[in-house]
Amino acid sequence: MADGKPDFSGIWNGQRALPNQAPPLMLPWAEKLTAERTNNYSADDPEARCLPGGVPRAAPYHYQLVQTPKLLLMLFEGNIHTYRQIFLDRAEHLKITEPLWYGDSIGTWDEDTLVVDTVGFNDKFWFDMAGHPHTTQLHVIERYYRRDFGNLEIGITIEDPGTYTKPWTIQRVSTLETGIEMSEYVCNENNSDVLHLVGK
Amino acid sequence: MRSILMALASSAATLMAQFPTQYVPVTPSSQGDLAGVWVVRGSTNLPDDLPYRPEALKLWQERKAEIAKNNSKDDPAAYCLPNGVVRVTSLPYKIVQTPLLVVLLSEGNTHSFRRFFLDGRAHNLDLEPNSWTGDSIGKWEGSTLVVDTIGFNDRTWLDDTGKPHSDQLHVVERYRRPEAGRLIVDYTIEDPKFLTKPYTFSRTFVPANREIQERFCTEQNHLVAK
Repeated sequence: MADGKPDFSGIWNGQRALPNQAPPLMLPWAEKLTAERTNNYSADDPEARCLPGGVPRAAPYHYQLVQTPKLLLMLFEGNIHTYRQIFLDRAEHLKITEPLWYGDSIGTWDEDTLVVDTVGFNDKFWFDMAGHPHTTQLHVIERYYRRDFGNLEIGITIEDPGTYTKPWTIQRVSTLETGIEMSEYVCNENNSDVLHLVGK
Repeated sequence: MRSILMALASSAATLMAQFPTQYVPVTPSSQGDLAGVWVVRGSTNLPDDLPYRPEALKLWQERKAEIAKNNSKDDPAAYCLPNGVVRVTSLPYKIVQTPLLVVLLSEGNTHSFRRFFLDGRAHNLDLEPNSWTGDSIGKWEGSTLVVDTIGFNDRTWLDDTGKPHSDQLHVVERYRRPEAGRLIVDYTIEDPKFLTKPYTFSRTFVPANREIQERFCTEQNHLVAK
């Protein structure tokens, strides 16, 4: 960028998890809920109903980053064809009155790493198909580092004292997609998932 | 003659008062700067004088009859499907501008985005010949951004009244910002299957004076399977 910051703009392949530690121990209510969701074949997963995956759930689709000095914009191909804004021009979180699927994200630079701090989440989305839950106390810190031209490393620290006994960090990587344009993925068009999502 | 000039001068003065003359910002490369959060001023609907062919007119009248019965069964937006390009909501839109890509974010409808490619590429419909928002390429003509879009399906409505179009739809939008506080979009719609000739109309957008908010249609909608 003209301001000397790394530019993450481009189309990236879906975030791929690196060998990671499992989530830490959950509080009993969360342990019970996760077991229920898993045992019910994930039939109630909001993501399969064309609702947002939230943070830090990663869909196996492309996403595009568009960066200006004030904003890092994420454009998602799927699960739903929507966007997330990371504000680079303010240091304080907004006062969130209505909890959000993507929360309120602000980014600051730590040398060449963009540190994205997000709070203000609703408690509706699942972290994964297993159904790992969270509360509105969720706080996610993502560290985006473009290691070289083709690789974007993402370290994600998840804190939610309402659900997990301690914070933990997972590592992911996205590779730059140079050949394929993103498609227009319209989840609500012929969403046949719902009919197949039959719980016990 | 004199009275005409005076009338012109006075209407210009009215406009100036309505939109205080601020400088119109430009990006470093002297292109126009469209960035901001904008909202439609006035009706979101098109005028009703589109030069429809008879079969298209019939389809529009059928849709209007259903709307009059308060039945939204034919309306794609009622199923949280995309509005496409011509149909807009009264909720704000945000324009994010970079030299090679302009993104239009929509708060309402499907809370989705359109991308205008300014990198000189030609239209490419290989991936999706018929999509909801088509394939949009843009170029600057002075400080006006000209966006050319083809590759539509025939499922979107042109406005809330159900005005139809075919998959032959071709939309040219000209985005210009005559003052800092006003964004005008001039539309030219061609659709040889449904229209007897190209149709033009304009919309004015003004600053929304707020950030766009998160709003997911699917969450609030009873017609979408949950």
